[in-house]
Amino acid sequence: MKLTLKVWRQQNSQDKGRFESYQVSDVSTDMSFLELFDVLNERLINEGKDPIAFDHDCREGICGACSMYINGRAHGPWHETTTCQLHMRAYNDGDTIVVEPWRAAAFPVIKDLAVDRSAFDRIIQAGGYISVNTGNAVDANAIPIDKVDADAAFAAAACIGCGACVAACKNSSAMLFTSAKISQLALLPQGRPEHKQRAEDMVAQMDKEGFGSCTNTGACEAECPKGISITNIARLNREFITAGFTSK
Amino acid sequence: MLDAKIPAGPLETKWSKYKSTVKLVNPANKRKLEVIVIGTGLAGASAAAALAELGYKVKAFCFQDSARRAHSIAAQGGINAAKNYQNDGDSVFRLFYDTVKGGDYRAREGNVYRLAEVSAAIIDQCVAQGVPFAREYGGLLSNRSFGGTQVQRTFYAAGQTGQQLLLGAYSALQRQVSLGNVKMYNRHEMLEIVKVDGKARGIIARDLVSGKLERHFGHAVLICSGGYGNVFFLSTNAMGSNVTAAWKAHKQGAYFGNPCFTQIHPTCIPVSGDHQSKLTLMSESLRNDGRIWVPKKKDDNRKATDIPEEERDYYLERRYPAFGNLVPRDVASRAAKERCDAGYGVGASKMAVYLDYAEAIVRYGKIEASKKSLDHASEQEIIAMGKAVVAEKYGNLFDMYAKITGENPYETPMRIYPAVHYTMGGLWVDYDLMTTVPGLYALGEANFSDHGANRLGASALMQGLADGYFVIPYTIGNYLADEIHTKPIPLDHPAFVEAEKAVKGQLDTLMGIQGKHSVDHFHKALGKIMWDKCGMARNAKGLQEAITEIQALKEEFWKDVRIPGKQEEFNPELEKAGRVADFLELGELMCKDALQRNESCGGHFREESQTEDGEAKRNDDEFAFVAAWEYKGPSSSELHKEPLTFDIVHPSQRSYK
Amino acid sequence: MKWSQFFNTSIGKKLLVGATGLFLCSFVIVHLAGNFSLLKEDGGEAFNTYAAFMGHNGLIQFIAWGLKIVILIHAVIAIQLTIRNRAARPVKYAVRPGNKTSSWYSRQMAVMGSVLFIFIVIHLSQFWWAMHYGDIGKVSYGAVTEVGNLYEVVWFAFKESWIVALYVLGMVALSFHLIHGFKSACQTFGLNHPKYNGLISFIGVWFFGILIPLGFAVIPVVIYIKQI
Repeated sequence: MKLTLKVWRQQNSQDKGRFESYQVSDVSTDMSFLELFDVLNERLINEGKDPIAFDHDCREGICGACSMYINGRAHGPWHETTTCQLHMRAYNDGDTIVVEPWRAAAFPVIKDLAVDRSAFDRIIQAGGYISVNTGNAVDANAIPIDKVDADAAFAAAACIGCGACVAACKNSSAMLFTSAKISQLALLPQGRPEHKQRAEDMVAQMDKEGFGSCTNTGACEAECPKGISITNIARLNREFITAGFTSK
Repeated sequence: MLDAKIPAGPLETKWSKYKSTVKLVNPANKRKLEVIVIGTGLAGASAAAALAELGYKVKAFCFQDSARRAHSIAAQGGINAAKNYQNDGDSVFRLFYDTVKGGDYRAREGNVYRLAEVSAAIIDQCVAQGVPFAREYGGLLSNRSFGGTQVQRTFYAAGQTGQQLLLGAYSALQRQVSLGNVKMYNRHEMLEIVKVDGKARGIIARDLVSGKLERHFGHAVLICSGGYGNVFFLSTNAMGSNVTAAWKAHKQGAYFGNPCFTQIHPTCIPVSGDHQSKLTLMSESLRNDGRIWVPKKKDDNRKATDIPEEERDYYLERRYPAFGNLVPRDVASRAAKERCDAGYGVGASKMAVYLDYAEAIVRYGKIEASKKSLDHASEQEIIAMGKAVVAEKYGNLFDMYAKITGENPYETPMRIYPAVHYTMGGLWVDYDLMTTVPGLYALGEANFSDHGANRLGASALMQGLADGYFVIPYTIGNYLADEIHTKPIPLDHPAFVEAEKAVKGQLDTLMGIQGKHSVDHFHKALGKIMWDKCGMARNAKGLQEAITEIQALKEEFWKDVRIPGKQEEFNPELEKAGRVADFLELGELMCKDALQRNESCGGHFREESQTEDGEAKRNDDEFAFVAAWEYKGPSSSELHKEPLTFDIVHPSQRSYK
Repeated sequence: MKWSQFFNTSIGKKLLVGATGLFLCSFVIVHLAGNFSLLKEDGGEAFNTYAAFMGHNGLIQFIAWGLKIVILIHAVIAIQLTIRNRAARPVKYAVRPGNKTSSWYSRQMAVMGSVLFIFIVIHLSQFWWAMHYGDIGKVSYGAVTEVGNLYEVVWFAFKESWIVALYVLGMVALSFHLIHGFKSACQTFGLNHPKYNGLISFIGVWFFGILIPLGFAVIPVVIYIKQI
């Protein structure tokens, strides 16, 4: 296959940035999307040019490092698939592919397609945990948990923190990310003691980071590589509203 | 002489006695003691959190953009613990015994027993943190058997156990960050250990965004940077997984233990072409129901589904009737290699074997039919019901396979081939997890300690968290109790200045080469040498050749590597270059270690040491020791031997026939 | 969290938008019920009596002013959120997903809302202003005292095809605004449960999204046709 890539190039956070076009030939359908970038980068290095910077690590769809907004889609066209798991058989000979970084005020560009997602860490720091010191735990089977709740908590906890929800949302809202953690902990009895404080603090931090608000378009859910449901956002709303009306 | 400092006394009381007699640091002093943690995987995140909870001042470093992305996240199968919730006869002793035996008698009894002892508390701690383990309808935790063990002791969260455990440790870590007890340094890479008066006192780190070097002081330094499987270029490790932190520690005096012990995982998706950047593991659990085979005819190019039953060679079932498709990882991997090398491989590359679910689908379909009392279900109906059951159990793995290969594993057998997965070797540590450099510790996969020559499935997660949550919080006190009078060393101390200068010098050299080839070019070349000559089967001739080839490659690297961009900016190529430079040195040491160990044990198979029917043959008389290598300069290392004694478990030849 | 903090968070603000939105939903039901009397061919008795009652009853006057304030709160907070949402993405994407990941009307709530707001201003100046401050004809029915003949004003207005078109357009905006708005408000309140989602969708789409706007739109069209 022969493809044209239009890639966002930006030297650093101060640079204005621009698109640059690259022709890539001999693209194998078995390549992953990131391997396409490896091949292109190898060529750029050999030509004495600056390779394209992008975040990636595990390349098996679980670490959440890879990003890339591909032809208007977070992580490209495949459903519930991260960029690293997207394979070139998704494209046809002669296609033009436009690749942009995640765009959000809260995710400033570091270089090219790599962005700073530390805002997510700070949201977790605000309360995305259960305050239990090591060694304080009771026997694991001392707290039976309804399997339905445990499964729902797991489904929420499957979030990989990649930021596709923010990238896909027209408002750059981080509600799906925040709600996934709040839901996981709200569904488990261990998480109940601090659930009000958690909801208030995490939402406050989310706002402070400069993410937009949720207008319930559902784009986050549609693009989430782990299929996190917006039911979690409803749960976050319940948690937050209950906290707001009843906390002291 | 190497002293592992194993406490005296009976195995069962070593750890409890240690805990009740170890030196303590009082809370007021803990506040004054600073600890540096390199890496935020299961070992690093749990250690940083646990130490901060105790009151130490912790600085945690990771090269990823967030602590949550460390490669522990990718572990699929589960975590072992001797809980005996299933009433099937599990105990601390059995877990200990299985681990020592599974490691082919190349691990320390004392360390392994402690690991088994603390395993139960890990599960309690994780559940308290909100880790959503799989549960039964009654609300209690579910277990499965894993990696061929006879008891069900593996706790799991679907196929994402590593992710859930890491997120638990990550959240504990973030809590300590919010409380001000941990300062987190994301996108930072440790490039040197700073020693003052022979003790580890800090690090030089590079801020990967600005490219600037930083000096950090610590009363102790913990290396929790994972394994070095990426020396093979292609492995199931993350792209960024590297040996740099451990290797810098090694060059500063920490011995490297058993570097040649590498685990090759049998069920990975095969290489599809030159563009391949990494290999993807498919959970070992697939072998519970799938059958592995190759055609009986060489170079058989028929479609798998066109090959009739009698022309298929279910070679694992044939060779190992007792364990069949469930033999340990090393045995299954070598058997696949043997068939492919003999010309029976499948797929375009001929370097793959089939993992077939057709029979399992029919079997599950029939069970469903009988559950639903459908006595006259057609074959199609049975297959449809069977597929539904298989999808329920393994759906996510099948989907992953389909995405990567474009083939439908419900219809055609999957193609699999072994790939490098885990490294049992690592920095040599004593019972306290301290390396041979005082104040420098190694935890998790970065140390060599608990898995011997082969790691059992679901034990890596157990060891990482055991080291971090339950071992280091005690053992570090033993050292730090004597450091309470050590004031923080100013960062303009000559040791820091010198260390930074050395790091800067190396970076300048790398940037200055401006040769012809990319970093990956050298990394791939190294990977090929390692895989061909220090991979699943090794022999003296190949290893000697490999050493020469690696030395030549290293020389070429330092003359001809091309790194674009600048030093003081975000420059992933420069990061990779530093890591590959260290892999080149490590690769040589691995070959040396494999060469001296003229026996087959666990993941290390020396062709010179095998039985008549091609099984691994251990040599306890000559090789019942830990090989601990001391760095003596470029391409020069000295071997120290820590003898292994087995008081409880008596080494026997493993047999799965 | 204090109330002031609570209502300054993104969710607190959305809660206000959702609550005011649902209040306005209930209002359109009442409004439409009254409007149907326009189609009664009784020379305007039913409608004018209804209008007079609405215009003079103290409680209803209170609610009517409250309604205008609610509309303003709904609009002002929504604008605040929209400004904030725009700021959350200072650099726009070159390629957008279109309708692949979300429906166009869910993304265009601000546009629909603005169209509706303009519509409401025109609508109020045309009828409400005329009724209260304008110089409109008076009629009396039986023993009842004289009331304003709003009926006549309405019928007169809907002789003009462009005004009818404007009203239909306004109702199209209302339709899409409510198809998303009702469900969205429920989600903001946290009402999302597999057992009730079907019902919420049904009410949002068929009742508020289609039936109500259609009912409103039919009236000017019928009046127009009758007067051709």
